[in-house]
Amino acid sequence: MKGTLSNVPIAKELDIVGARQTGRNIATELGFSSVDQARIATAISELARNIYLYAKKGEITFQQVEGVAPVGLKIIAKDNGPGIKDISKSMIDGYSTSGGLGAGLPGVKRLMDDFDIMSSDEGTTIHVIKWLR
Amino acid sequence: MRIPILKLHEYLLISVQVELDDQTAMQFQEDLLSKIHESGATGVVLDLTSVDIIDSFIAKVLGDVVSMADLMGAKVVFTGIQPAVSMTLIDLGIHLQDVPTALDLEQGLIKLRRELEEK
Amino acid sequence: MEQRLRNIILEHSDQIIKNWLVKLDENKVTEYGETISQEAIEQTNREFVNVIFSNIESNGGTNDLQEFSEKIVNLGWPLGYLTEGMQAFRTVAIRTILEDIGETNNNEEFLSIMEGVNDWVDPIKNRLINEYSSNWTNIVSLQKVALQELSAPLIPVMEGITIMPLVGTIDTDRAKLIMENLLNGVIKNNAEVVLIDITGVPVVDTMVAHHIIQAAEAVRLVGSQCILVGIRPEIAQTIVNLGIDLRNFPTKSSLQKGFRTALEMTGAKVISENEGEGDEIENILNSIEKE
Ligand SMILES: Nc1ncnc2c1ncn2[C@@H]1O[C@H](COP(=O)(O)OP(=O)(O)O)[C@@H](O)[C@H]1O
Ligand SMILES: [Mg+2]
Repeated sequence: MKGTLSNVPIAKELDIVGARQTGRNIATELGFSSVDQARIATAISELARNIYLYAKKGEITFQQVEGVAPVGLKIIAKDNGPGIKDISKSMIDGYSTSGGLGAGLPGVKRLMDDFDIMSSDEGTTIHVIKWLR
Repeated sequence: MRIPILKLHEYLLISVQVELDDQTAMQFQEDLLSKIHESGATGVVLDLTSVDIIDSFIAKVLGDVVSMADLMGAKVVFTGIQPAVSMTLIDLGIHLQDVPTALDLEQGLIKLRRELEEK
Repeated sequence: MEQRLRNIILEHSDQIIKNWLVKLDENKVTEYGETISQEAIEQTNREFVNVIFSNIESNGGTNDLQEFSEKIVNLGWPLGYLTEGMQAFRTVAIRTILEDIGETNNNEEFLSIMEGVNDWVDPIKNRLINEYSSNWTNIVSLQKVALQELSAPLIPVMEGITIMPLVGTIDTDRAKLIMENLLNGVIKNNAEVVLIDITGVPVVDTMVAHHIIQAAEAVRLVGSQCILVGIRPEIAQTIVNLGIDLRNFPTKSSLQKGFRTALEMTGAKVISENEGEGDEIENILNSIEKE
Protein backbone atom coordinates (compact mmCIF):
# COMPACT_ATOMS: atom_id res chain seq x y z
CA MET A 1 0.00 0.00 0.00
CA LYS A 2 1.75 3.12 -1.22
CA GLY A 3 0.91 6.31 -3.02
CA THR A 4 -2.47 7.98 -3.14
CA LEU A 5 -5.01 6.38 -0.83
CA SER A 6 -7.97 8.67 -1.22
CA ASN A 7 -9.22 11.92 -2.65
CA VAL A 8 -11.97 13.97 -1.04
CA PRO A 9 -13.50 16.95 -2.85
CA ILE A 10 -14.47 19.91 -0.66
CA ALA A 11 -17.40 21.98 -1.90
CA LYS A 12 -19.88 22.18 0.94
CA GLU A 13 -19.79 22.41 4.69
CA LEU A 14 -20.52 18.74 5.35
CA ASP A 15 -17.54 17.74 3.19
CA ILE A 16 -15.37 18.96 6.07
CA VAL A 17 -16.81 16.20 8.27
CA GLY A 18 -16.43 13.68 5.42
CA ALA A 19 -12.77 14.58 4.90
CA ARG A 20 -11.81 14.29 8.55
CA GLN A 21 -13.66 10.99 8.91
CA THR A 22 -11.84 9.60 5.88
CA GLY A 23 -8.57 10.86 7.35
CA ARG A 24 -9.23 9.29 10.72
CA ASN A 25 -10.06 5.94 9.14
CA ILE A 26 -6.86 5.97 7.11
CA ALA A 27 -4.85 7.00 10.18
CA THR A 28 -6.37 4.11 12.14
CA GLU A 29 -5.51 1.64 9.38
CA LEU A 30 -1.94 2.88 9.20
CA GLY A 31 -1.63 2.22 12.94
CA PHE A 32 -1.53 5.73 14.41
CA SER A 33 -2.29 6.07 18.13
CA SER A 34 -5.66 7.44 19.12
CA VAL A 35 -4.10 10.75 20.10
CA ASP A 36 -2.37 11.06 16.71
CA GLN A 37 -5.64 10.11 15.02
CA ALA A 38 -7.26 13.05 16.77
CA ARG A 39 -4.38 15.33 15.75
CA ILE A 40 -4.65 14.23 12.12
CA ALA A 41 -8.44 14.55 12.02
CA THR A 42 -8.26 18.01 13.58
CA ALA A 43 -5.62 19.19 11.10
CA ILE A 44 -7.76 17.95 8.20
CA SER A 45 -10.76 19.75 9.63
CA GLU A 46 -8.80 23.02 9.73
CA LEU A 47 -7.44 22.65 6.20
CA ALA A 48 -10.78 21.61 4.72
CA ARG A 49 -12.58 24.45 6.44
CA ASN A 50 -10.09 26.98 5.10
CA ILE A 51 -10.73 25.67 1.58
CA TYR A 52 -14.49 25.89 2.06
CA LEU A 53 -14.29 29.32 3.69
CA TYR A 54 -11.70 31.11 1.56
CA ALA A 55 -11.62 29.27 -1.80
CA LYS A 56 -15.16 27.83 -1.91
CA LYS A 57 -13.91 24.54 -3.35
CA GLY A 58 -10.88 22.31 -3.59
CA GLU A 59 -9.75 18.87 -2.50
CA ILE A 60 -7.93 16.91 0.15
CA THR A 61 -5.65 14.07 -0.94
CA PHE A 62 -4.26 11.33 1.30
CA GLN A 63 -0.99 9.58 0.51
CA GLN A 64 1.12 7.02 2.25
CA VAL A 65 4.77 8.05 2.18
CA GLU A 66 8.18 6.85 3.33
CA GLY A 67 10.93 9.05 4.75
CA VAL A 68 12.35 9.78 8.22
CA ALA A 69 10.10 6.92 9.33
CA PRO A 70 8.99 3.91 7.27
CA VAL A 71 5.38 5.03 7.30
CA GLY A 72 3.95 8.51 7.09
CA LEU A 73 0.56 9.95 6.22
CA LYS A 74 0.75 12.88 3.84
CA ILE A 75 -2.22 15.17 3.44
CA ILE A 76 -2.46 17.62 0.57
CA ALA A 77 -5.01 20.43 0.70
CA LYS A 78 -5.32 22.12 -2.68
CA ASP A 79 -7.57 24.85 -4.01
CA ASN A 80 -7.69 27.35 -6.86
CA GLY A 81 -8.96 30.18 -4.72
CA PRO A 82 -7.63 33.72 -4.25
CA GLY A 83 -4.55 32.60 -2.32
CA ILE A 84 -3.21 33.84 0.99
CA LYS A 85 -2.22 37.52 0.84
CA ASP A 86 0.45 37.36 3.53
CA ILE A 87 1.67 33.87 4.29
CA SER A 88 3.91 34.79 7.22
CA LYS A 89 1.10 36.68 8.92
CA SER A 90 -1.30 33.77 8.34
CA MET A 91 1.09 31.57 10.33
CA ILE A 92 0.83 33.76 13.43
CA ASP A 93 -1.52 32.64 16.20
CA GLY A 94 -4.65 34.75 16.24
CA TYR A 95 -4.32 36.19 12.73
CA SER A 96 -7.62 35.91 10.86
CA THR A 97 -9.26 37.83 8.04
CA SER A 98 -12.65 36.29 8.76
CA GLY A 99 -13.18 36.84 12.49
CA GLY A 100 -12.10 33.29 13.22
CA LEU A 101 -9.74 32.31 16.01
CA GLY A 102 -6.77 32.41 13.65
CA ALA A 103 -5.66 29.11 15.15
CA GLY A 104 -5.98 26.97 12.02
CA LEU A 105 -2.70 27.24 10.10
CA PRO A 106 -0.33 27.66 13.07
CA GLY A 107 -2.27 24.88 14.79
CA VAL A 108 -1.94 22.50 11.84
CA LYS A 109 1.80 23.12 11.86
CA ARG A 110 2.00 22.04 15.51
CA LEU A 111 -0.42 19.13 15.11
CA MET A 112 1.61 17.60 12.26
CA ASP A 113 5.33 16.84 11.85
CA ASP A 114 6.08 18.41 8.44
CA PHE A 115 4.37 21.49 7.06
CA ASP A 116 4.74 23.11 3.62
CA ILE A 117 2.68 25.92 2.18
CA MET A 118 2.55 27.44 -1.32
CA SER A 119 0.16 30.18 -2.23
CA SER A 120 -0.30 32.60 -5.09
CA ASP A 121 -3.25 34.39 -6.66
CA GLU A 122 -3.94 31.13 -8.50
CA GLY A 123 -4.57 29.16 -5.37
CA THR A 124 -3.15 27.53 -2.29
CA THR A 125 -1.54 24.14 -1.72
CA ILE A 126 -0.59 22.89 1.71
CA HIS A 127 1.36 19.66 2.32
CA VAL A 128 1.54 18.15 5.77
CA ILE A 129 2.91 14.83 7.02
CA LYS A 130 2.54 12.86 10.22
CA TRP A 131 5.12 10.12 10.76
CA LEU A 132 4.21 6.86 12.42
CA ARG A 133 6.48 6.24 15.39
CA MET B 1 -29.46 17.23 14.00
CA ARG B 2 -30.42 18.73 17.36
CA ILE B 3 -28.71 18.19 20.66
CA PRO B 4 -31.18 17.56 23.50
CA ILE B 5 -31.05 19.96 26.46
CA LEU B 6 -32.30 18.65 29.80
CA LYS B 7 -33.45 20.73 32.72
CA LEU B 8 -32.58 19.82 36.30
CA HIS B 9 -33.87 22.33 38.85
CA GLU B 10 -32.20 25.63 37.96
CA TYR B 11 -29.56 23.93 35.81
CA LEU B 12 -29.44 22.78 32.22
CA LEU B 13 -27.62 19.57 31.32
CA ILE B 14 -26.36 18.71 27.88
CA SER B 15 -24.54 15.55 26.91
CA VAL B 16 -23.29 15.82 23.34
CA GLN B 17 -23.66 12.40 21.72
CA VAL B 18 -23.21 13.28 18.05
CA GLU B 19 -20.33 14.38 15.87
CA LEU B 20 -20.32 18.18 16.04
CA ASP B 21 -20.54 19.48 12.50
CA ASP B 22 -20.84 23.22 11.96
CA GLN B 23 -24.59 23.22 11.48
CA THR B 24 -25.24 21.16 14.59
CA ALA B 25 -22.97 23.39 16.63
CA MET B 26 -24.62 26.61 15.46
CA GLN B 27 -28.08 25.15 16.05
CA PHE B 28 -26.99 24.12 19.52
CA GLN B 29 -25.78 27.64 20.30
CA GLU B 30 -29.19 29.01 19.36
CA ASP B 31 -31.16 26.31 21.20
CA LEU B 32 -29.15 26.69 24.39
CA LEU B 33 -29.54 30.46 24.53
CA SER B 34 -33.29 30.33 24.04
CA LYS B 35 -33.55 27.55 26.62
CA ILE B 36 -31.64 29.70 29.11
CA HIS B 37 -33.96 32.56 28.30
CA GLU B 38 -37.19 30.65 28.75
CA SER B 39 -36.11 28.62 31.79
CA GLY B 40 -34.15 31.30 33.64
CA ALA B 41 -31.45 28.70 34.28
CA THR B 42 -28.43 29.95 36.26
CA GLY B 43 -26.06 27.16 35.38
CA VAL B 44 -25.25 24.85 32.48
CA VAL B 45 -23.18 21.67 32.39
CA LEU B 46 -22.00 20.72 28.92
CA ASP B 47 -20.68 17.17 28.88
CA LEU B 48 -18.27 16.47 26.03
CA THR B 49 -17.28 12.91 26.96
CA SER B 50 -18.42 11.48 23.62
CA VAL B 51 -16.90 14.21 21.48
CA ASP B 52 -13.73 13.01 19.78
CA ILE B 53 -12.82 16.09 17.76
CA ILE B 54 -12.98 19.82 18.45
CA ASP B 55 -11.42 22.03 15.79
CA SER B 56 -10.93 25.79 16.04
CA PHE B 57 -14.34 26.53 14.56
CA ILE B 58 -16.25 24.34 17.01
CA ALA B 59 -14.06 25.64 19.82
CA LYS B 60 -15.04 29.18 18.89
CA VAL B 61 -18.74 28.32 18.77
CA LEU B 62 -18.52 26.62 22.17
CA GLY B 63 -16.38 29.41 23.68
CA ASP B 64 -18.80 32.01 22.34
CA VAL B 65 -21.81 30.23 23.79
CA VAL B 66 -20.12 30.40 27.21
CA SER B 67 -19.68 34.19 26.93
CA MET B 68 -23.22 34.63 25.62
CA ALA B 69 -24.71 32.52 28.40
CA ASP B 70 -22.64 34.51 30.87
CA LEU B 71 -24.23 37.72 29.57
CA MET B 72 -27.61 36.15 30.18
CA GLY B 73 -26.64 35.27 33.75
CA ALA B 74 -25.93 31.56 33.29
CA LYS B 75 -22.58 29.98 34.17
CA VAL B 76 -21.36 27.18 31.87
CA VAL B 77 -19.07 24.34 32.93
CA PHE B 78 -17.47 21.94 30.42
CA THR B 79 -17.01 18.35 31.52
CA GLY B 80 -15.49 15.18 30.16
CA ILE B 81 -13.13 16.68 27.58
CA GLN B 82 -11.12 13.68 26.37
CA PRO B 83 -7.31 13.64 26.70
CA ALA B 84 -6.85 13.49 22.92
CA VAL B 85 -9.21 16.42 22.42
CA SER B 86 -7.48 18.37 25.17
CA MET B 87 -4.09 17.83 23.53
CA THR B 88 -5.27 18.92 20.10
CA LEU B 89 -6.83 22.04 21.60
CA ILE B 90 -3.50 22.86 23.24
CA ASP B 91 -1.73 22.34 19.88
CA LEU B 92 -4.21 24.73 18.32
CA GLY B 93 -3.34 27.24 21.03
CA ILE B 94 -6.87 27.18 22.37
CA HIS B 95 -6.94 27.14 26.17
CA LEU B 96 -10.58 28.08 26.91
CA GLN B 97 -9.11 30.02 29.81
CA ASP B 98 -12.40 31.47 31.03
CA VAL B 99 -14.36 28.25 30.95
CA PRO B 100 -14.57 26.26 34.18
CA THR B 101 -14.00 22.53 33.67
CA ALA B 102 -14.63 19.33 35.59
CA LEU B 103 -13.92 15.63 35.12
CA ASP B 104 -17.50 14.43 34.73
CA LEU B 105 -21.13 15.48 34.99
CA GLU B 106 -21.30 14.93 38.72
CA GLN B 107 -18.16 16.95 39.43
CA GLY B 108 -19.47 19.53 36.99
CA LEU B 109 -22.58 20.06 39.06
CA ILE B 110 -20.47 20.42 42.21
CA LYS B 111 -18.24 22.93 40.45
CA LEU B 112 -21.23 24.85 39.19
CA ARG B 113 -22.69 25.13 42.66
CA ARG B 114 -19.34 26.33 43.98
CA GLU B 115 -18.94 28.90 41.20
CA LEU B 116 -22.43 30.22 41.75
CA GLU B 117 -21.98 30.48 45.51
CA GLU B 118 -18.83 32.53 45.06
CA LYS B 119 -20.72 35.26 43.29
CA MET C 1 -13.91 20.05 83.97
CA GLU C 2 -11.27 18.70 81.64
CA GLN C 3 -10.23 16.11 84.21
CA ARG C 4 -13.82 15.12 84.93
CA LEU C 5 -14.50 14.41 81.25
CA ARG C 6 -11.32 12.50 80.92
CA ASN C 7 -12.19 10.31 83.86
CA ILE C 8 -15.59 9.55 82.40
CA ILE C 9 -13.95 8.56 79.12
CA LEU C 10 -11.36 6.34 80.78
CA GLU C 11 -13.94 4.75 83.07
CA HIS C 12 -16.13 3.81 80.14
CA SER C 13 -13.32 2.85 77.82
CA ASP C 14 -14.66 -0.67 77.23
CA GLN C 15 -18.06 0.64 76.27
CA ILE C 16 -16.56 3.35 74.04
CA ILE C 17 -14.30 0.91 72.25
CA LYS C 18 -17.22 -1.39 71.61
CA ASN C 19 -19.43 1.39 70.23
CA TRP C 20 -16.61 2.86 68.21
CA LEU C 21 -15.84 -0.46 66.52
CA VAL C 22 -19.51 -0.93 65.71
CA LYS C 23 -19.70 2.57 64.27
CA LEU C 24 -16.64 2.08 62.07
CA ASP C 25 -18.07 -1.17 60.87
CA GLU C 26 -21.51 0.18 60.03
CA ASN C 27 -20.09 3.28 58.36
CA LYS C 28 -17.99 1.24 55.98
CA VAL C 29 -17.30 4.45 54.12
CA THR C 30 -13.73 3.54 53.42
CA GLU C 31 -13.06 0.83 50.92
CA TYR C 32 -9.70 -0.83 51.09
CA GLY C 33 -10.22 -3.23 48.24
CA GLU C 34 -11.01 -6.94 48.43
CA THR C 35 -7.43 -7.91 49.12
CA ILE C 36 -7.58 -6.90 52.76
CA SER C 37 -9.12 -9.43 55.08
CA GLN C 38 -11.83 -8.50 57.56
CA GLU C 39 -9.44 -9.73 60.22
CA ALA C 40 -6.73 -7.27 59.27
CA ILE C 41 -9.22 -4.42 59.32
CA GLU C 42 -10.51 -5.41 62.74
CA GLN C 43 -7.04 -5.75 64.13
CA THR C 44 -6.04 -2.33 62.82
CA ASN C 45 -9.21 -0.80 64.20
CA ARG C 46 -8.38 -2.19 67.62
CA GLU C 47 -4.86 -0.84 67.37
CA PHE C 48 -6.25 2.54 66.37
CA VAL C 49 -8.51 2.85 69.39
CA ASN C 50 -5.71 1.73 71.73
CA VAL C 51 -3.51 4.44 70.30
CA ILE C 52 -6.22 7.00 70.93
CA PHE C 53 -6.66 5.88 74.52
CA SER C 54 -2.99 5.71 75.33
CA ASN C 55 -2.71 9.29 74.08
CA ILE C 56 -5.58 10.47 76.21
CA GLU C 57 -4.04 8.75 79.23
CA SER C 58 -0.55 10.07 78.66
CA ASN C 59 -1.67 13.47 77.41
CA GLY C 60 0.01 13.03 74.03
CA GLY C 61 3.29 11.88 75.47
CA THR C 62 3.79 8.79 73.33
CA ASN C 63 5.23 7.87 69.97
CA ASP C 64 2.58 5.43 68.95
CA LEU C 65 0.63 8.03 66.93
CA GLN C 66 3.61 8.31 64.66
CA GLU C 67 4.03 4.57 64.39
CA PHE C 68 0.39 4.04 63.70
CA SER C 69 0.27 6.70 60.96
CA GLU C 70 3.28 5.13 59.34
CA LYS C 71 1.57 1.78 59.40
CA ILE C 72 -1.53 3.18 57.68
CA VAL C 73 0.62 4.75 54.97
CA ASN C 74 2.46 1.49 54.44
CA LEU C 75 -0.81 -0.39 54.22
CA GLY C 76 -1.76 2.04 51.49
CA TRP C 77 -4.95 3.02 53.28
CA PRO C 78 -6.36 6.47 52.62
CA LEU C 79 -6.09 9.42 54.96
CA GLY C 80 -9.86 9.19 55.29
CA TYR C 81 -9.47 6.11 57.45
CA LEU C 82 -7.81 8.25 60.11
CA THR C 83 -10.06 11.32 59.89
CA GLU C 84 -13.16 9.20 59.80
CA GLY C 85 -12.02 7.13 62.75
CA MET C 86 -11.39 10.27 64.80
CA GLN C 87 -14.77 11.66 63.85
CA ALA C 88 -16.47 8.45 64.93
CA PHE C 89 -14.51 8.54 68.16
CA ARG C 90 -15.61 12.10 68.83
CA THR C 91 -19.25 11.20 68.35
CA VAL C 92 -19.08 8.13 70.55
CA ALA C 93 -17.17 9.96 73.29
CA ILE C 94 -19.63 12.85 73.47
CA ARG C 95 -22.57 10.48 73.57
CA THR C 96 -21.00 8.43 76.35
CA ILE C 97 -20.34 11.49 78.49
CA LEU C 98 -23.86 12.77 78.00
CA GLU C 99 -25.28 9.42 78.99
CA ASP C 100 -23.06 9.31 82.04
CA ILE C 101 -24.00 12.71 83.45
CA GLY C 102 -27.64 12.28 82.44
CA GLU C 103 -29.63 14.24 79.89
CA THR C 104 -28.86 17.93 79.91
CA ASN C 105 -31.03 20.73 78.67
CA ASN C 106 -28.33 23.18 79.40
CA ASN C 107 -26.84 24.42 76.14
CA GLU C 108 -23.91 25.95 77.95
CA GLU C 109 -22.99 22.64 79.50
CA PHE C 110 -23.46 20.77 76.26
CA LEU C 111 -21.15 23.16 74.44
CA SER C 112 -18.48 22.94 77.08
CA ILE C 113 -18.58 19.15 76.85
CA MET C 114 -18.13 19.37 73.09
CA GLU C 115 -15.26 21.78 73.51
CA GLY C 116 -13.67 19.62 76.14
CA VAL C 117 -13.82 16.57 73.87
CA ASN C 118 -12.57 18.55 70.89
CA ASP C 119 -9.67 19.77 72.96
CA TRP C 120 -8.13 16.35 73.01
CA VAL C 121 -9.58 14.80 69.88
CA ASP C 122 -8.27 17.56 67.61
CA PRO C 123 -4.60 17.46 68.58
CA ILE C 124 -4.59 13.68 68.09
CA LYS C 125 -6.25 14.01 64.73
CA ASN C 126 -3.91 16.78 63.60
CA ARG C 127 -0.86 14.84 64.62
CA LEU C 128 -2.13 11.77 62.78
CA ILE C 129 -2.71 13.80 59.62
CA ASN C 130 0.68 15.50 59.82
CA GLU C 131 2.44 12.20 60.36
CA TYR C 132 0.53 10.67 57.52
CA SER C 133 1.52 13.34 55.05
CA SER C 134 5.21 13.37 55.98
CA ASN C 135 5.40 9.58 55.93
CA TRP C 136 3.71 9.61 52.62
CA THR C 137 6.27 12.06 51.25
CA ASN C 138 9.09 9.73 52.32
CA ILE C 139 7.50 6.82 50.59
CA VAL C 140 7.02 8.78 47.42
CA SER C 141 10.66 9.81 47.33
CA LEU C 142 11.65 6.17 47.70
CA GLN C 143 9.32 5.21 44.91
CA LYS C 144 10.77 7.96 42.81
CA VAL C 145 14.19 6.38 42.89
CA ALA C 146 12.71 3.05 41.89
CA LEU C 147 10.79 4.64 39.06
CA GLN C 148 13.63 6.66 37.64
CA GLU C 149 13.89 4.32 34.70
CA LEU C 150 10.36 5.03 33.67
CA SER C 151 9.90 8.02 31.48
CA ALA C 152 6.82 9.52 33.02
CA PRO C 153 5.38 7.57 35.92
CA LEU C 154 2.15 8.49 37.55
CA ILE C 155 1.46 7.65 41.18
CA PRO C 156 -2.09 7.78 42.52
CA VAL C 157 -1.47 8.62 46.15
CA MET C 158 -4.93 8.84 47.49
CA GLU C 159 -8.39 9.48 46.33
CA GLY C 160 -8.49 12.39 43.94
CA ILE C 161 -4.79 13.15 44.20
CA THR C 162 -2.12 11.90 41.82
CA ILE C 163 1.52 12.79 41.53
CA MET C 164 3.85 12.83 38.56
CA PRO C 165 7.51 13.11 39.44
CA LEU C 166 9.51 14.29 36.45
CA VAL C 167 13.08 13.12 36.29
CA GLY C 168 15.69 14.00 33.70
CA THR C 169 15.73 16.34 30.76
CA ILE C 170 12.54 17.17 28.94
CA ASP C 171 12.62 17.50 25.16
CA THR C 172 9.69 17.91 22.80
CA ASP C 173 9.17 14.20 22.22
CA ARG C 174 9.26 13.39 25.89
CA ALA C 175 7.00 16.32 26.64
CA LYS C 176 4.35 14.78 24.38
CA LEU C 177 4.69 11.42 26.08
CA ILE C 178 4.51 13.05 29.49
CA MET C 179 1.37 14.93 28.53
CA GLU C 180 -0.28 11.77 27.23
CA ASN C 181 0.56 9.76 30.34
CA LEU C 182 -0.54 12.63 32.52
CA LEU C 183 -3.94 13.07 30.90
CA ASN C 184 -4.72 9.38 30.63
CA GLY C 185 -3.69 8.95 34.26
CA VAL C 186 -5.92 11.81 35.37
CA ILE C 187 -8.90 10.16 33.72
CA LYS C 188 -8.03 6.67 34.91
CA ASN C 189 -7.53 7.72 38.55
CA ASN C 190 -10.30 10.28 38.51
CA ALA C 191 -7.75 12.73 39.86
CA GLU C 192 -9.05 16.13 40.87
CA VAL C 193 -5.53 17.37 41.52
CA VAL C 194 -2.20 16.38 39.97
CA LEU C 195 1.08 17.30 41.59
CA ILE C 196 3.81 17.71 38.99
CA ASP C 197 7.10 17.43 40.81
CA ILE C 198 10.03 18.95 38.93
CA THR C 199 12.60 18.40 41.65
CA GLY C 200 14.34 15.93 39.37
CA VAL C 201 14.47 18.14 36.30
CA PRO C 202 18.01 19.52 36.10
CA VAL C 203 17.42 22.48 33.81
CA VAL C 204 14.25 24.48 33.46
CA ASP C 205 14.58 26.80 30.48
CA THR C 206 11.87 28.55 28.48
CA MET C 207 11.35 25.43 26.39
CA VAL C 208 10.86 23.13 29.40
CA ALA C 209 8.68 25.68 31.17
CA HIS C 210 6.57 25.97 28.04
CA HIS C 211 6.04 22.21 27.92
CA ILE C 212 5.12 22.10 31.58
CA ILE C 213 2.66 24.96 31.21
CA GLN C 214 1.07 23.26 28.23
CA ALA C 215 0.71 20.03 30.16
CA ALA C 216 -0.92 21.94 33.00
CA GLU C 217 -3.29 23.69 30.59
CA ALA C 218 -4.25 20.35 29.06
CA VAL C 219 -4.89 18.93 32.53
CA ARG C 220 -7.21 21.84 33.25
CA LEU C 221 -9.15 21.19 30.06
CA VAL C 222 -9.94 17.60 31.00
CA GLY C 223 -11.32 18.97 34.26
CA SER C 224 -8.52 18.49 36.76
CA GLN C 225 -5.98 20.88 38.32
CA CYS C 226 -2.19 20.97 38.47
CA ILE C 227 0.08 22.02 41.28
CA LEU C 228 3.70 22.50 40.32
CA VAL C 229 6.02 21.44 43.11
CA GLY C 230 9.76 21.20 43.63
CA ILE C 231 10.57 24.76 42.62
CA ARG C 232 14.19 25.11 43.71
CA PRO C 233 15.65 28.59 44.24
CA GLU C 234 17.55 28.54 40.95
CA ILE C 235 14.42 27.45 39.11
CA ALA C 236 12.43 30.31 40.64
CA GLN C 237 15.20 32.66 39.46
CA THR C 238 15.14 31.30 35.93
CA ILE C 239 11.38 31.48 35.74
CA VAL C 240 11.31 35.11 36.78
CA ASN C 241 14.36 36.13 34.74
CA LEU C 242 12.92 34.57 31.61
CA GLY C 243 9.58 36.23 32.24
CA ILE C 244 7.69 32.93 32.24
CA ASP C 245 4.14 33.35 33.44
CA LEU C 246 3.07 30.65 35.89
CA ARG C 247 0.38 32.70 37.57
CA ASN C 248 -2.42 30.40 36.52
CA PHE C 249 -1.05 27.46 38.47
CA PRO C 250 -0.33 27.09 42.14
CA THR C 251 3.36 26.42 42.72
CA LYS C 252 5.00 25.11 45.88
CA SER C 253 8.60 24.59 46.89
CA SER C 254 8.15 21.08 48.23
CA LEU C 255 6.06 18.04 47.56
CA GLN C 256 4.81 18.12 51.12
CA LYS C 257 3.50 21.68 50.86
CA GLY C 258 1.95 20.83 47.54
CA PHE C 259 0.25 17.84 49.07
CA ARG C 260 -1.31 20.06 51.72
CA THR C 261 -2.62 22.40 49.06
CA ALA C 262 -3.94 19.40 47.16
CA LEU C 263 -5.75 18.18 50.25
CA GLU C 264 -7.35 21.58 50.62
CA MET C 265 -8.35 21.66 46.98
CA THR C 266 -10.01 18.27 47.20
CA GLY C 267 -11.91 19.39 50.29
CA ALA C 268 -9.89 17.50 52.86
CA LYS C 269 -7.88 19.83 55.06
CA VAL C 270 -5.03 19.71 57.48
CA ILE C 271 -6.59 22.00 60.01
CA SER C 272 -5.47 24.04 62.93
CA GLU C 273 -7.18 23.28 66.19
CA ASN C 274 -10.77 24.26 66.93
CA GLU C 275 -11.43 26.25 63.84
CA GLY C 276 -14.75 25.83 62.06
CA GLU C 277 -14.45 22.25 63.13
CA GLY C 278 -17.79 20.87 62.01
CA ASP C 279 -17.48 22.12 58.44
CA GLU C 280 -13.99 20.77 57.95
CA ILE C 281 -15.04 17.32 59.03
CA GLU C 282 -18.01 17.55 56.73
CA ASN C 283 -15.67 18.44 53.90
CA ILE C 284 -13.30 15.62 54.60
CA LEU C 285 -16.10 13.10 54.86
CA ASN C 286 -17.78 14.42 51.75
CA SER C 287 -14.61 14.19 49.78
CA ILE C 288 -14.15 10.65 50.92
CA GLU C 289 -17.69 9.63 50.21
CA LYS C 290 -17.64 11.08 46.73
CA GLU C 291 -16.13 7.95 45.22
N1 LIG D 1 -7.00 28.16 1.50
C1 LIG D 1 -6.92 29.47 1.76
N2 LIG D 1 -7.13 30.38 0.78
C2 LIG D 1 -7.03 31.70 1.04
N3 LIG D 1 -6.76 32.22 2.26
C3 LIG D 1 -6.54 31.38 3.28
C4 LIG D 1 -6.60 29.97 3.08
N4 LIG D 1 -6.33 29.38 4.26
C5 LIG D 1 -6.10 30.37 5.16
N5 LIG D 1 -6.22 31.58 4.57
C6 LIG D 1 -5.99 32.89 5.22
O1 LIG D 1 -5.19 32.70 6.37
C7 LIG D 1 -5.84 33.23 7.53
C8 LIG D 1 -5.52 32.38 8.72
O2 LIG D 1 -6.12 31.10 8.60
P1 LIG D 1 -6.38 30.23 9.89
O3 LIG D 1 -5.10 30.15 10.65
O4 LIG D 1 -7.02 28.97 9.49
O5 LIG D 1 -7.37 31.13 10.78
P2 LIG D 1 -8.92 31.44 10.53
O6 LIG D 1 -9.44 30.47 9.55
O7 LIG D 1 -9.54 31.28 11.86
O8 LIG D 1 -8.98 32.86 10.04
C9 LIG D 1 -7.31 33.24 7.17
O9 LIG D 1 -7.99 34.23 7.90
C10 LIG D 1 -7.27 33.54 5.70
O10 LIG D 1 -7.15 34.93 5.46
MG1 LIG E 1 -9.10 28.40 9.54
